[in-house]
Amino acid sequence: MKKLSRLSYLWNGIILENPILILMIGLCPTLATSLSARDGLGMGIAASFVIIGSNIIVSLVRRVVPENVRIPVFIIIISTFVTIVDYTLQAYFPELYRVLGVFVPLIVVNCIVLGRAEAFAYRHGVIDSFLDGLGKSLGFTLVIFLMGLIREFLAQGTFFGKSLGLSFLEKQGILFMLFPPGGFLLIGLLKALVNKYIKRE
Amino acid sequence: MAIKIKPILVLGITCGISSFLLTRVYQWTGEKIERQKEKALQEALSYVLPSAVRFEKVDTSLFFGYNERGEKVGLVFSSAPRGYAGPILIICGLGIDGRITGIRIASPAEGFKETPGLGSKVREKDFLSQFLGKEKEKIRLKREGGEISAITAATISSKAVCEGIRKGVERYERLLR
Repeated sequence: MKKLSRLSYLWNGIILENPILILMIGLCPTLATSLSARDGLGMGIAASFVIIGSNIIVSLVRRVVPENVRIPVFIIIISTFVTIVDYTLQAYFPELYRVLGVFVPLIVVNCIVLGRAEAFAYRHGVIDSFLDGLGKSLGFTLVIFLMGLIREFLAQGTFFGKSLGLSFLEKQGILFMLFPPGGFLLIGLLKALVNKYIKRE
Repeated sequence: MAIKIKPILVLGITCGISSFLLTRVYQWTGEKIERQKEKALQEALSYVLPSAVRFEKVDTSLFFGYNERGEKVGLVFSSAPRGYAGPILIICGLGIDGRITGIRIASPAEGFKETPGLGSKVREKDFLSQFLGKEKEKIRLKREGGEISAITAATISSKAVCEGIRKGVERYERLLR
């Protein structure tokens, strides 16, 4: 039974407690960086590193950190993590940095990271926090990648920047989808789909 | 005076550990990051001025290019005209005959803000290849008497790129001699 409930921390993040579609947090980076499939996936992966890492560390130090200074401590942990990821990518993975570079500093303000530290990792053990971080990261990455895929396809008729031979979309795509209102519309539609699925369950 | 010492200590120690870690990580990576940046710059320079093998920095926005025999083969300048949504960063190579040898425009990750799908097309080969080999008088949009076709629905971005390149050529071409 214990094992089952642990795995549910992982599973919940993907649908039932999906950070974007159900908890409705982290919408700003989601709208801003889901213009193409590659961007969406990149942001998802970069944020996942930080969410999982900060969850583990916050959980490790939760017994020593007093209530009244926990938020500043979380912020320091998260921004340290982000800076380390930023330097490491720049130094050892310049190709990847060229794609992800612009998103990395944005992760600090992604409220999913702080949200999970505060709502979960501060009150749970390391393994549970890791599973929770992994689940929420997967949920976030999945949605932001899907949105990038759809927005790129509708606006430019391409898949990961590759032409699909749909010249009518390439010439006259629905550019509206690339602007924030189009992004909000898409989040709404995806949320409607997920709500329908949850209700049926 | 019931000041609790523990929160202060925890916060202080956290900051200390964080600073220590970041200093170490910077020591490990700083030099490599500089080298990667230098490499990226060299790549961009040889892309816009392929005939040069060695570049000499004049200032932050101007480089001279030399071939194996040490002869000057052209120069590379950067320019940042105002586009539709922000400055457009352009690196442009100029051959010794005053003709354009290559152009590279900063990517969205490097601060390029033009509208995706419209203005962003100024970065594409179809648009930029029009400039290659051209002299400065011809670097204007067709409607202004030049030879550059603007991108549909992105006249402002197209014009900005033309202006940025033409003004750069006007400013630096005398340095070729």
